[in-house]
Amino acid sequence: MITRRQLLRGGGASLAGVAALAAGLGSVVAAQKQKNATASTHRWGMVIDLDRCTACAACTVACRQENNIPTFGPEEKFDGAHIEWMSMYWDESADGAMPQLLPFPCQQCTDPPCVKVCPVGATYKGTDGITYQIWDRCIGCRYCMVACPYSRRSFNWTEPKWDAVSVQMLNPDVATRPAGVVEKCTFCHHRIKPLVEQAEMEKRPVRDEDCQQLTACAAACPADAIVFGDQNDPESKVSELNKSPRRFRVLEELDTGPNVVYLKRDKAE
Amino acid sequence: MADRTTTDTSTRHEELVSQTRPHPIWYLLVGIALLCVGFGAFCFWYQDHYHFITSGLRNLGFGGAPWGLHVGFYVIFVGVSFAGITVAAMARLFKVKELQPVTRLAELITITALISGSAAILADLGRPFDGVIKLPRYARPQSPFYGTFTMIGAGYLFSTLVFFFLAGRADAARMANQGPKLLRPLYRVWALGYSDSVQERHRHHITSYWLSLTIFPLLIIVQSTEGFIFGLQVGRPGWYSPLQPAAFVTLAGVSGTGVLIVVSLILRRLFSLRDKLPDSALRWLGNLMWVLAAIYLYFMLAEEMTATYAGPRSDRNVAHAIVTGVYAPYFWLTVVALGTCFVVPFYMFITKKSSITWLGVAASGGIIGAITKRLLIIVPSQTHGARIQFSSGSYTPSWVEFGFVVGLVGLMALLILLFTRFFPIVPDPELMKSDAYERAKKWPHDRLRITVTVAWALVSLSLLGVGLADSLRMWTGGNEIDPRIPYSPLLFAFGVMMMFCTAIVYEALPGSKSEDSHPEPSESVAPEETAA
Repeated sequence: MITRRQLLRGGGASLAGVAALAAGLGSVVAAQKQKNATASTHRWGMVIDLDRCTACAACTVACRQENNIPTFGPEEKFDGAHIEWMSMYWDESADGAMPQLLPFPCQQCTDPPCVKVCPVGATYKGTDGITYQIWDRCIGCRYCMVACPYSRRSFNWTEPKWDAVSVQMLNPDVATRPAGVVEKCTFCHHRIKPLVEQAEMEKRPVRDEDCQQLTACAAACPADAIVFGDQNDPESKVSELNKSPRRFRVLEELDTGPNVVYLKRDKAE
Repeated sequence: MADRTTTDTSTRHEELVSQTRPHPIWYLLVGIALLCVGFGAFCFWYQDHYHFITSGLRNLGFGGAPWGLHVGFYVIFVGVSFAGITVAAMARLFKVKELQPVTRLAELITITALISGSAAILADLGRPFDGVIKLPRYARPQSPFYGTFTMIGAGYLFSTLVFFFLAGRADAARMANQGPKLLRPLYRVWALGYSDSVQERHRHHITSYWLSLTIFPLLIIVQSTEGFIFGLQVGRPGWYSPLQPAAFVTLAGVSGTGVLIVVSLILRRLFSLRDKLPDSALRWLGNLMWVLAAIYLYFMLAEEMTATYAGPRSDRNVAHAIVTGVYAPYFWLTVVALGTCFVVPFYMFITKKSSITWLGVAASGGIIGAITKRLLIIVPSQTHGARIQFSSGSYTPSWVEFGFVVGLVGLMALLILLFTRFFPIVPDPELMKSDAYERAKKWPHDRLRITVTVAWALVSLSLLGVGLADSLRMWTGGNEIDPRIPYSPLLFAFGVMMMFCTAIVYEALPGSKSEDSHPEPSESVAPEETAA
């Protein structure tokens, strides 16, 4: 049987090993660079004017094309496995005689329930108001999906598929997502980033006119119903529309603070 | 040692070994369990290869539920694990003699249920193999899932393993002499030099007390964490409720006690353990079960009343779908099953009559009721409670999901059957009668043992603290995506495991010379060993 002396000797050696490991970890920590914690000066937001919206669904098509969202056949569509970042939501509880259609992207909540629950930080809130998703880190637990009160997250139930023509038209700026991860609208942040960088290089503020139709959905809208912009810029069109008395936000009572704002239909018309 | 000298040692050894001689039907059950495990493994491969499109799960809001049978059975298995360690801790802390014979089986159920539960949640991940790497690397304590991955694995499962390991050392020492020859080296490892001295019994007395005391709050935390996974979701009607954690703990107790009773009844037949797993133990468990079932039925009533009487529209939708809608058959089955689980043992309690067969029926009711109720918590809220509903929802599990769950149940059964074949499932009752504690009070403290134990505990706490603080990204107010120390969640889990190992350090550290030369002679565990 092992004696106490032998055990303590072995234990001491193990402890020294652990200490060496801890020292190694410390050096790794020291070597790790401080993450870029610079807060963004922008707070991106979207205003969707339902009075202008004709429910043509061009925004949903443009979004699909821009963000490499795989296509689905009718069987998968009605099976509930299809993916949509921008949907048309038929709001039966709408205030008014007629139900109305809402172009419905991720609401980019200020206090997003999906971010709170993600166990690995695969989704996080940027200082620019966008809720980001790191595809590669997602482990596919789908907790964010059940936590999202707006049901604005989709899971890749299978490998994405494109036909021979569609695959030629994939957007190289947006990564395709593998099976087993959750995805969502990102306010086309791949379009925002070069715009901000260009402005920084030229040492000028980002121009509001460059932003208004920046996202694919806003660019595709024939009725200019979707306006995108910086809510921190008091002169921006988004800020101006945000002051409208027709303004409302979906499920406002949950206090998630969506950065997507709707303008009610004008009944007078 | 007067109490032990009265017992014939060789008879005790024979009794110990005879517990592991199975009925021929044991082989049949093992065969069935193996088939189930094989089928479950195939289903897992199939799902991983052809992806989750093979399941009945679909996107929320578009007529589907992203969480289904896997998550449901994960919660059920964790619930079942409740019984084991609770019974063991109660038996130790409150000295409930009736429960002593079922303590080891109870702990075994906890361990096997947690293994199956962990497999269930891992298989529910879209990328399970990525999950194994990324969770230890990036896990965030802010997510209720964090408790699932750390507290259940590192805390609950590991503490139970430690408890199980230490409580089994004495029997392992005996089996090292009497058990199957091939397995004797394993028994020796488990015994870890145990010689059944009075000092060792004294030390075990202390560690089991402190472990029991630690495990009780951990148990409540773990079971509540399960409730918080659902109860904290503001956007999910039917889930968002302060009642969830308390209700989860209670239903866990019902299902866990039910499984313990049913498994005890099966093992009594398989290994002729009617005397060793006596009716008195099962009756005690039956009483615990009806109390918990009554509390849970009350919770159910409160839950449905609140939702239907004055709940918001989406909460009412969920409640109506459950009570009178598409889920009504499952709901009323739950009511009947949990009602049986309450009525039968309660009737036995007030009339002082006892029927073990009916107790088995009631326990089965508890298990069935817990399974259906867990699924009723998880599914309807997704299919009928979506605040933004694009189309009406439904969820039907696919054969792949059913197959995997069958595999998990088979895995649990297989582990229990194999263990009981090679190790006595009822602890030696002689060990419970020890008066070592009283006599050992007079001995001088072993300062070195205490110093090493305290040092170990401090190192564990340091690792635990650093790991937790860094996992919380505390250095940057929680704003960074990555922890600063790579794999800091793993560091936290390691710290927790080390902390529970403190009990092993204290108990199994070899005795000092002064301890060994103590005038109180220690009795050897086997006559063969003494002769040698």
